[in-house]
Amino acid sequence: MICFDNLSKRYPGGFEALKNVSLNMDAGELAFLTGRSGAGKSTLLKILMLLERPTSGSLLINGKNLNRLSNSQIPSYRRQLGVVFQNHQLLLDRSVFDNVALPLQVSGYSRKEIGRRVRAALDGVGLLERERHRPQTLSGGEQQRVGIARAVVHKPRILLADEPTGNLDPALSAEIMAFFRRFQDVGVTVLIATHDINLVNRMNCRIIRLEQGTVADNGERRGAAV
Amino acid sequence: MGKGVARQYKNRDSIQRGAVGSKIALADRWRGFISHHRATLNDSALRMFREPLQTIITSAVIAIALSLPATLYLMVENIRQLGSNFESFARITVYVEKNAGQRAINALGDQLEAMPEVATATYISAEQALTEFKSVSGFGSALQHLEDNPLPAVFIVEPALAEQIDVGQTHKLLEKIRSLAAIDDVQMDMLWLQRLRGLTEIGQKIVLALGGALGLGVLLIIGNTIRLAIHSRRDEIVIIKLVGGTDAYVRRPFLYGGMLLGLTGALGSSLMLFAGLLWLSGSIEHLSDLYNSQYRLLGPGFVGFLGLAAVGGLLGVCGAWLAVARHLKDIKPR
Repeated sequence: MICFDNLSKRYPGGFEALKNVSLNMDAGELAFLTGRSGAGKSTLLKILMLLERPTSGSLLINGKNLNRLSNSQIPSYRRQLGVVFQNHQLLLDRSVFDNVALPLQVSGYSRKEIGRRVRAALDGVGLLERERHRPQTLSGGEQQRVGIARAVVHKPRILLADEPTGNLDPALSAEIMAFFRRFQDVGVTVLIATHDINLVNRMNCRIIRLEQGTVADNGERRGAAV
Repeated sequence: MGKGVARQYKNRDSIQRGAVGSKIALADRWRGFISHHRATLNDSALRMFREPLQTIITSAVIAIALSLPATLYLMVENIRQLGSNFESFARITVYVEKNAGQRAINALGDQLEAMPEVATATYISAEQALTEFKSVSGFGSALQHLEDNPLPAVFIVEPALAEQIDVGQTHKLLEKIRSLAAIDDVQMDMLWLQRLRGLTEIGQKIVLALGGALGLGVLLIIGNTIRLAIHSRRDEIVIIKLVGGTDAYVRRPFLYGGMLLGLTGALGSSLMLFAGLLWLSGSIEHLSDLYNSQYRLLGPGFVGFLGLAAVGGLLGVCGAWLAVARHLKDIKPR
């Protein structure tokens, strides 16, 4: 599903964030991406979101080389992704419903369909009764759940999460992780960047460890054992 | 192992279902497109109401900028209309020799009528001219003291194709008439009309230049307003792009915003013009009555208002487009 092929990213100024990264993820796989800050986790996710282009090497999604994607094709590619951000990136001047509806509006769904899907997604994260609220009236854990609902409302095939439990206590983190498990169970490929080692160890999943821009451990053996 | 395979199958199945689920029927897509446009328009209008002072100030500036060339245009149009009202004055007065006999006069009349360039030639005898002059000029009593009629008999010649006032052609006609017998003088009251035409032509050019300059001003005003809007909605743009919004999607609310600003500006300008016309028309009617004229002030009319709205809306969209093209590029992600 996701295949990094000898991919490198050098930022203007010479900093090499990723060096010859080769990775494979199957469809329906859940993996953690760990490493210290500066190890290249963010860059890897940015390249997956096509916020950055690789300097060399290639990234294949479902067999398609993203290097061949033109700028005008980027939006339709991003619609296949669901992304959960650390600081949840919700629009504070819109209701929870409107925030979650955004990926569907962008794809051109009808209003009826949007209503149906948004409510289903909010129901899935247990926030259906809060749809009319503004994000700032919700707790941190609830905001992150809204972020998850937005990430999955359009049924993406790939779910990316960047430090999704960054500011949450362990109980809430476990709750969030349970959601990710559920999406994995319906066949979504999930990649979670985190440095919450305790959480990662508890989950018993594949762990990809980056160190200074290279893959120190691609975690494949452990993934096969599960 | 078997369990894993089963799970994989299940996965593949649900992936396919997922893919089907994210496919949208064409009709739904169209409905979504329309409802999105409507929602965007509503949202843009709401945003304008949420910042009334900003909206009023910007609209007023646009209204004034549109009103200036529109007013000048109306002035020029009115003068042109005034000129065309006097078009009938572009006729030729042929003064008959004082001592010409009735036969010579009849012959002259026939000759004039026979010319292809002449539409009509009306004879006005010296006596007729005198009675008319007495009744119109108000000098009636003074004229009674004159011993004999000072006025000559005349032919009023209306050239054919009166609207086609071509200097060369009319001069040729004048020469032709002048060469006839029993004529004292030939005069054509047309030069002033040509001068008026020249002036209105200059006026039209000024309207065009002023309109162009102020139109550019409106473009820049709207562009700047939209630029500020883009900056204040930066977070939203970033998120929309992250979830796969196209550039067109991002652009749309700003284009609608610009269009609405242009339209409210045009509306304001229409109100200004309307008020100005109302204010002036009474005085003009009065003046026109004093001149015994049927002339009435020419307003822009419904089509004129529509045109103004179209110009305002178009300038709005273009201004917004300029701002969006210039400033969206600065916002990452691309």
